[in-house]
Order: sequence, then C-alpha cells, then structure tokens
Amino acid sequence: MTASQTTPAVRLEGITKRFGDVVANDSVDFTLEQGSIHALLGENGSGKTTLMSILYGLYDQNEGSISVDGHEQTFDSPRDAMEAGVGMIHQHFQLVPSMTVLQNVILGHEPVDNGLINDGAARGRIEDICSRYEFDVDQYLDTRVEELDLGAQQRVEIVKSLYRGADVLILDEPTAVLTPQEVERLMDVMADLREDGQSLIFISHKLDEALEIADQITVLRDGEAIGTVDTAETTEQDLAQMMVGREVLFDRLERESSTGDPVLEVDGLCMRGDRDRRQVDDIDLTLRSGEILGIAGVQGNGQSELVEGITGLRSVEEGTIRLAGDDITGMNRRRRIENGIAYIPEDRQSEGLVQDYSLVRNALLGNQTIAPYANGQILDWDEVSDHAAEIVEEYDVQPPNPDATAGSLSGGNQQKFIVGREIGHDPDVLVASHPTRGVDIGSVEFIHNRLIELREEGLGILVVSSKLEEIRKLSDRIAVMYEGEFIDVVDPDAVTEEDLGLLMAGHEPTNEPPQQSDPQPDGGGSRD
Amino acid sequence: MLSATVLERIAIAIASTLSAILIGLVIVAVAGYNPVQFVNQLVVGSFGSERAIVRTLRYSTLFILTGVAVAVAFRAGVFNIGVQGQFIMGGFATVVSIVGIAPLLPENAVGGTILIAIGTLAAIVAGGLYAALPGVLKAYGGANEIITTIMLNFIAIGFVGWLVAGRFNDPEATATRTRQLPEYVELPSPIVSDPNFSLVGLLVMLATVAAVAVIMARTSFGYDMVTSGYQQSAAGYAGVDPKRMIVSTMTFSGVVAGLAGAVFVIMIQGYYTDPSGVGNYGFDAIAVSLLAANNPVGVVPAGLLFGGLESAGSHIQINSDVPVQLIDGIVGLVVLFVAVPELFRMIAKRTGLGGENR
Amino acid sequence: MSVADYTARTSVRLGGLVLFVLIAFGVALTFTDEIALERLVTFGFLSRSLEMATPIALAAVGGLYAEKSGVFNIGLEGFMIFGAFSAAATMYALGGTSPTQGHVWAALVAAVLVSVALTVLFAVLLIHFKADQIVAGLAVWFVGLGFAPFTAAVIWGSRSSPGLTSIDPIAFGQSPLILLTIGIVVASWVVLYRTRYGNWIQAAGENPEALDTAGIDVNRVRYATVIFSGAMAGLGGAVLLAHAGNFGGTGETMVDGRGWIGIVAYLFGNYNPIGAAAAALLFGALDMLNVQFQTVGIDLPSRLVNLLPYVAVIVVLTAWGKTRMPDAVGEPYESEE
Repeated sequence: MTASQTTPAVRLEGITKRFGDVVANDSVDFTLEQGSIHALLGENGSGKTTLMSILYGLYDQNEGSISVDGHEQTFDSPRDAMEAGVGMIHQHFQLVPSMTVLQNVILGHEPVDNGLINDGAARGRIEDICSRYEFDVDQYLDTRVEELDLGAQQRVEIVKSLYRGADVLILDEPTAVLTPQEVERLMDVMADLREDGQSLIFISHKLDEALEIADQITVLRDGEAIGTVDTAETTEQDLAQMMVGREVLFDRLERESSTGDPVLEVDGLCMRGDRDRRQVDDIDLTLRSGEILGIAGVQGNGQSELVEGITGLRSVEEGTIRLAGDDITGMNRRRRIENGIAYIPEDRQSEGLVQDYSLVRNALLGNQTIAPYANGQILDWDEVSDHAAEIVEEYDVQPPNPDATAGSLSGGNQQKFIVGREIGHDPDVLVASHPTRGVDIGSVEFIHNRLIELREEGLGILVVSSKLEEIRKLSDRIAVMYEGEFIDVVDPDAVTEEDLGLLMAGHEPTNEPPQQSDPQPDGGGSRD
Repeated sequence: MLSATVLERIAIAIASTLSAILIGLVIVAVAGYNPVQFVNQLVVGSFGSERAIVRTLRYSTLFILTGVAVAVAFRAGVFNIGVQGQFIMGGFATVVSIVGIAPLLPENAVGGTILIAIGTLAAIVAGGLYAALPGVLKAYGGANEIITTIMLNFIAIGFVGWLVAGRFNDPEATATRTRQLPEYVELPSPIVSDPNFSLVGLLVMLATVAAVAVIMARTSFGYDMVTSGYQQSAAGYAGVDPKRMIVSTMTFSGVVAGLAGAVFVIMIQGYYTDPSGVGNYGFDAIAVSLLAANNPVGVVPAGLLFGGLESAGSHIQINSDVPVQLIDGIVGLVVLFVAVPELFRMIAKRTGLGGENR
Repeated sequence: MSVADYTARTSVRLGGLVLFVLIAFGVALTFTDEIALERLVTFGFLSRSLEMATPIALAAVGGLYAEKSGVFNIGLEGFMIFGAFSAAATMYALGGTSPTQGHVWAALVAAVLVSVALTVLFAVLLIHFKADQIVAGLAVWFVGLGFAPFTAAVIWGSRSSPGLTSIDPIAFGQSPLILLTIGIVVASWVVLYRTRYGNWIQAAGENPEALDTAGIDVNRVRYATVIFSGAMAGLGGAVLLAHAGNFGGTGETMVDGRGWIGIVAYLFGNYNPIGAAAAALLFGALDMLNVQFQTVGIDLPSRLVNLLPYVAVIVVLTAWGKTRMPDAVGEPYESEE
C-alpha cells in the first residue's frame, strides 16, 4: 500500500444522479477506508447499484466528486476506473459464456506477442493471483464459462478484476445467486482479500450478511444515504428500520389450516430444461383448494421448469398432471387457461405483459378465448376495457389510467395489474412464480394480503419464491426443491431459516465448499 | 418504432419519402438531367391526366394488395420477403387453371365468372402453400425465413420461367408466354373503361384491406398474431403456439399475395410471361408495408404513393431520357429511411420540430 | 475455443452439403448413362468452381465478422452489387472497352473503397442511429438493385456494361484472385481466433457489457466489423466482375443472390471463416454444374439446374439450420442511458 492509512481508498462526496425526472442518487456521501469491507445496504431500487456504477465509470454523475486514494478522479468509462484500481463484480456477471475462463479473465487486457495473444504470459499471471488468494480458477482456465456453476463464475469475475490490477473491489449483490454454502465460501474469500490489504464494497439488501462480513455499513433509501454505522455498534432491527423507514414485521400471518379437496395433483413428473438436461425429476405434489403450497429453492433447481410444466408452457417427459381429477398432461396452454389455471409468471416484463400495449390490451392477454371478452373469434373490446378499469381500481394500479402502456408502470404496479388480471376469470388454481420480485414494499404487502384472501376464498395457490421470508409468511406447507427433486416438505411453523437453507443446498450439512477443483459441467445453476 | 405514436409514424413516413425523393433529385442533377423537369414528369406521369390517374390506380391496387400481404407477416414478427414469389405462383396458377378448365365451361359471362372464381381460388391456394412452406421450415426446422423466402423467390422466377417457356408455352405467340385467358374472362368495368383496370378490382382490393384490418383488430386470431409480433414470449404465455402461429401467419400472408397475383393476371396481363419481367410488386410491397408501419389501413396511402411513382416511371420511360431504374433506387432509399426512425427523431429534436413529448 | 471443436460441429453441416452435391450429381447421372463421372468432374470443373466460390466466400467472411460482433449485415447482397458495378465503372473510366490488367487491379481497389465509403454510412445508421438491421439491410439491396442499373444506364445507355476485360490467370490457369481469397480467409481465421481483436469481436456479439466493462468500446469494434463486411462484400462483387469481364444489370443483376448465399455459407460454417469458405466452395460447385453439364453434353434444362444452389440453401438450412447465433445480434448497444 502506498497511500497512508489515513487516506480513504474511495471517497464520494455529494453524488447526485438523475435519470430524467427520477433522482436515483441524491447528494450521497460515502467513504471506504483502506483495507476494510464496507457494506452498502438498501432495498431494491434504493440507488445502490447506480451509485457504484458511477464510481465504476458506467454512469456520469450530475453532481458531486469522486476521489480514489486521495486523488480526485473523473471516470468517463470503466477503463478509467480500472486504471485507478477500481474493479466491479456485477450482479449479472460480465462474462462471455461461450468463451473460456482464460479469454474472459484477460478480455481487454490481453498480453500480446507479435500481434498474437501470448497465452503463456497470461496463464502465468493468473496462476500468481490464484496462488496468492488460494483461488481454484487457474485449474479450469480452458473450460468455457457456461460450463461452470455460478459460484465458480463469480470467482472468475473476482480474478478478472484482480488481473486488471484492482485494489478496490465493488461486489454488487454477490450472494443473490449462491447457495448458503457458496455464500460462506465467498465470505472467506472476501476476508482473505481484506487481509491482503484490498478494500471492498459489498452491495446487499441482506442484513445478516452485511453484519457478518462488513466493518462499516452505509444504508441507502430512495437514493439518499440514511447513515453510516460501525458494524460492531448496530443491530439487525436498527438496520432494517433505516432501510425501510419503519418497523418491519417478519412474522408469519396466522390462518386456519386447510382441509379442501385436491385441485392439482402431479404424479411422477419428469421434465427437461433448455439444454436438454433433466431439470424436474420425479416430482409428486398435491395442492388442495384453500391451501398455499410454497416451493423454496435456489434459483435454477427446476422450479421454473416445474411451473412451466404445470401451466402448459413446457412439455412433460413423464408423469401426469391432474386438474380437479381430470388428466391435463397433454393439454396445451390455452386449454389449461380456459380450464382454470391462472399464472403469475416469473418474468412479468417479457411474459406477463406486452410492454408496448396499453393496460386495456394487456387485460386481454391470456383471456382472448374466454367469454365475455371473446365471443367465438370476435373480441368484445368494451368488456375488456371494463375489465381493465376494474383491475386498475380494485388493485390500486398507479397511475389509474387503463390507456397507459404497461411499460410505463413501475414494477410493483405492473405486478398488481397481473395479479388482478389472473384472478379475474375465477380460476381454480393460481401458480405464482416469484410474485413480489422487484416490487416495492407497499405492493408486496398488498399482493401478500390478496394471496391470503384468495386462499380463504378456496383457491389452491402454488407459490414459488427464492425469498425465504415470503415463503414462510405465506405457505401452509413448504416443499424444498433441489436438483429437480423435492428434498423435503416441511411445516413453516416448525422449520428454522437455517434448516431451510441447508435443505436448499441439498440436505448435506458439510463444511466443505461444494465447488471442488474439478468443475461439474452445468453444475448447480442456470444462467438468466 | 412500434411504440411510436400514430402521428409520429405518419411524420416519419412522410419525412422518409421526401428525403428519398430529394436524394433521388440530387442524383438526377448529378447525372446531368434537369431535376425540375423530372419533378414535373413525376407529377404529370402519376396524376396529370385521366390516363395517368387510371394507371396509378392500377399499380396502386397491386401495391396495396401485396403491401397488405407483407404487413400481415411483418406485424406478426415473421419476415416474409417472399411475397414476390407467392405473387408469381398465385398468378401463374390462375392462368394455368383458367386456361385448363375453360374448354369445359360455356363460353359466356357465366362461364367467365365461374372461371374467375376458380382462377382466384387457385391463386389463393398456390400463394398460401408457397408461403406455408417456408413457414413450416422455420417453425419445425429452424430455417431463417428471410433467407428461405428470398431463395424461394429466385426459385419461383426460374421454375415458372421454365414452365412458361416449355410446357405452358403458347406455340402461336411470337413472344415467350402462356396462352391467353379467354376474352370473356374479364372483370366488369363500370365508369372507367380501361383494358387494364377495373373498379371491381379496386373494390376487391379495398374489401381485402378491410377484412385484414378487422381480423387483426377484432378477432382473437388477430390479437394472437399481433401479440406474437410485439412480444413472442408474452404471446406464448397467453396460450399462442408459436410454431403454428408462424405457419398460419405465413399462409395468411401468402393467400393475400396469391390474390394479388390473380388480380394481376385477370385485370391486367391476361397471360403469363417470364416472371423476371412481371414487375417487382412483391419487393416494393416491403417498402409499402414498412412505410405504413405494417398497418393494413396505412398501406392504402402508402400503396397509392408507390402506384403513383410506378405510374410516373412508365411515363418517364417514354417521355424522358432519365433511366427508369432511378425509381427503384428511390424505393430502396425510402425503405432505408423508414428503418431509421431515430434519425428523424434526432433531427426533429435538434430543430425543435419534434414537439414536447420526444 | 479450439479448432477441433469447430471442425467437429461444422463437419456435420458441411457433410450435409457435400451429400446434397453428390445427390445432385447422382440425379444428373441417371439422366444419362453414357457419360462417366470422370468426364463430369474434371480439373477445369474444380477450377471453375473455385472461381465461382471466391465472391461467395469473401462476402461470407465479411458477414460472419459483422454477425460475430453482434450486427446482422443482411445488406451483403447490396454491397456486392455496388462492388461489381463500381469495378466495372472504374475499368471503363480508365480503359474504355479495352482495359489493361492494371486497370482491372485498380478497379478492384476502387470497388473496395466505394464499398467502404457506403458501409461507413450504413454502419452509422445501424450503430449510431440504431436502425432496424433487417430492414436497413434489405434497403441496401433495393438501393443497389435500383441505383447500379440506373448508373449503368446513365453511363452505357443500358443496364449492362459492354464487354470489358477479365483478369488474366497466373500459374495453372488459375485466377490470382483465388489465391487472394484463400489468403484473406486464412488471415480472417487467425485474427478471429488468435488475436485480441478476435476476442473483442466475439465478446461484442455475445455479451457486449462484458466487453464494455473491460474498457473496450463495443461500438468501435462493431464499426470495424461492419465496415470490414462491406469491404469484403464489395471485393466479392468486384472479383465476380473481374472473372466475368462485364457488368450485368438485368433482373437481380449479375450478383443474383450470391450475397444471400454468402450468409448461408457462414451459417453452415458455424461462423468459422474456413468453414464458411468450404461451404462457399460447394455452392460454387453447384453453380458450375450447369456449365459442366453443357460441356459434357448432358441435356438438362439449364433454367432448372441454375436453381440448384437455391434449393440446396433451403434444404441444408432446414436440415442443419439451428446454428447458435451470438446472443446479442441485432441489439444496439449503449453504455449509458
């Protein structure tokens, strides 16, 4: 370290960033001390990633200044930031899946000999870095990135930043895609890096992780820095309050246990995923009316495929699906909609709504063969219009204008509209995939309450979510999915979050990190 | 482009056309001709006389029909570049079926009407099948429809050309062509009497536009189609089978293209020649449709514009030394400009013409 | 990515194309049992096939560079038309109806320069103004189909040029342009797989953000590949002209779909320049079959035999059409809102 201990590694002063009329960062101050880990905590959309993208040269700030190691800097591009020693590990990895680990690490910084890439020199440098931090990345340099699991990809990203000479590392939500065991391993890596004098910024919305690893924590809310605290002097409740601005209740909602008839029965279901790999492996499930069955699991363990199988979007290899006793395994998506399977899709942007359509046109999406909106082939736009207006009213969609395009709405309002539409035609089964992902807190509560109400009205609801709090809060039973199978079905009142975490990692509580030196092809995760 | 407001679309269409014509005029001037005279001939040749107007309407009928065929496919997100081939197959099927069946029917107006119906049906079937083929290849074989439809255009030209010169050649004709349709096979021509134009043809065209517009806007099939064009993933979510949709879209598009081929044969040509010489209606239709932002109703003014240009082209060919291929180049430029709405948005912004919303 | 990987995956597709060519021969031979295969497949036939393959291979190499970097240049056909026409016009301007070999080479250079100038404009529309790549590419074709014959008519009073000169062969009666093309294909392979520019091109097409965050300007990479694709298509058109010896502007012009076939050639070659060139050679062979049939006296309708390459494109595209396109093809890239 050349800079003295009193000079902070990074200092941001009065950073303001506006996107059109939206203020993403409002005069934010932030200081990262040398050789420390500083967590940047906040809800989705609180401006964490924007702030760090400014530090990394991806965005220009409207106001404010950046200094790195005591020198004021203007970053026009990530290259400038990198030259100043700032590296960033993005939430969506900045890797090229079809290229090898080696090509990815050296991308943009290839050592060249006579115009050709000097392979040997590149390997040597990567091996040096890996042996210094005990990384395993040098053992699969010639493997294509798409064949690695997400934990290994993340380490490739870190090595890439170090290769480029970073001594300030920004990690954007690094734990979001990892299993609990991989998270532990990442925490170790971060601690090692701190030992070696690296300074790290850890972006997260998870309180426990920030408390575990960080030296200091800065909380952002609605683009403003609410405060910076030393980890030793704060508690989870304090931080939560700073994040959301009010007391949060993590408690489960009380309810009567359900005794309805089975509405959806799945028997021995097997399905293949996009890369022809078996993603759903002999799943049995029964969903009763008036019940919420939660499916927990780390993303990519077959939940999406299972949901697509039930809703009719993906064909089934083996097994049967019965709706109210009738076999619907071979029935296409449209007929399943008509027969009462409603679906809140995982990806509302690309599946649940047509972004360029008005809400009125979107109110017809999926309902285009159902009376009263359609009379044979002929559409009745007046009915559709009324329906849209009802949803907007009943679900408090903002702005309350059925002629607004779906793309102009915020995520929460888009989601409320979808929930309203899907319930509209009185279904028997509702499949809700990540129903509150990327949704503001107010809308989350609204949607949760609505789901509970629908349960009371006798609907059978299948909820898939990677948020444990959500699953525990809503479900009558929780099925944990791992590598295409239900590892266990548990009672939400009787299970701890730790146990759930272990189940999600495959029920094998071991201290060994799951990623061994030899990467499993397509192991564990899927890319999104 | 799809999210643009209707007004903006119209503005972009007009700006594209004017820019293309302007560049065309510069080229006319650089090539050593008189651009003012050229503009004059454009106007006179398209709308300057009753004859010119009828000629413009004749071409427009075909441009609008083929333009609607393109619009159907493009709106659904399927790039049917093969309307030219489907138009040729349709028209040729009309000739073959009418010439083949005529001897079995009475040689009078009743027979003529039946033959027209049969010929049109043959064209629709031929055009629809010839378009369904690349649809099936795309849906079930993953073959890019842009490339296969272009190849099928080349194949239609070669194949029909071979048949016209061989098996279906009229031995009594001096030129290489098929036998002529019987005289009594013709559309009635009220009000306007022109051997190559009939108001009935125009009405058929308008009825087709109206039918396609209603299907797209007011039926669940149309909603499925348009939704597929906007956002494939959302259409799948809403229960559209993407593979079947591709095939139905292509077939629908080819049916309209085939109908255009029938109108061309029955109303205008009366026989078939080597298809490399029948005119590029199916290609220019792409420009027509894009200019109309793939809206079937918008195709009408766009088709009139192209009909006018084509009509002026025939006038210029006779009355001027400016090579008529210039018109094709201008059509290409129109397409180029339509592809870049952002260009006009930026210009509008810079010059303050864009209004406050952009 | 290793060479072995590519050849393994590409060979299936190329095998399909070889099969098609063999079937075409087989069908031809059943029409006549008089003529032996050795009379059909001669040295002259192979050499003419090479000659026919060069324009397709050049366009294919250019097109695959653009697409690898994330821009689908479907204007190749149009740029070939411009290349062929500019070469003819240059030859005529320098040497009238009897240009020298020097004029031929000057014409090749001029064609590349004209194509580069036009592609720069095209690239600005695609990359800076985010034009719809498919529509703009089609437009280039239409513009070429209109303005090349127009200008021909202005210069020569007809859509086609009078007879000019074709390029003289060098050793073994081979055109030097075949050697040039082989050189370009090999060099393209080396640049794509052995230099950092190749890595950047691949990254720009697969995950432009990754390249951007590595500090490389994605759009500069794309400008370079699109302009290269135009230059190669233009050169391809000029080579076609230099072999033919005059410009034909009737119908779909003398280029007659070769740019489109170039696109298919690189799809077969799985975006590998050498694979693309091999596919181009097979298309060249199909193209020459007609001439060869006439030479040896097989009486097949030439109109139909001429359609063989187009049919081959459809058959092979359908049977082996599912190539994996680069992820980001067709998406304009902006690093900041």
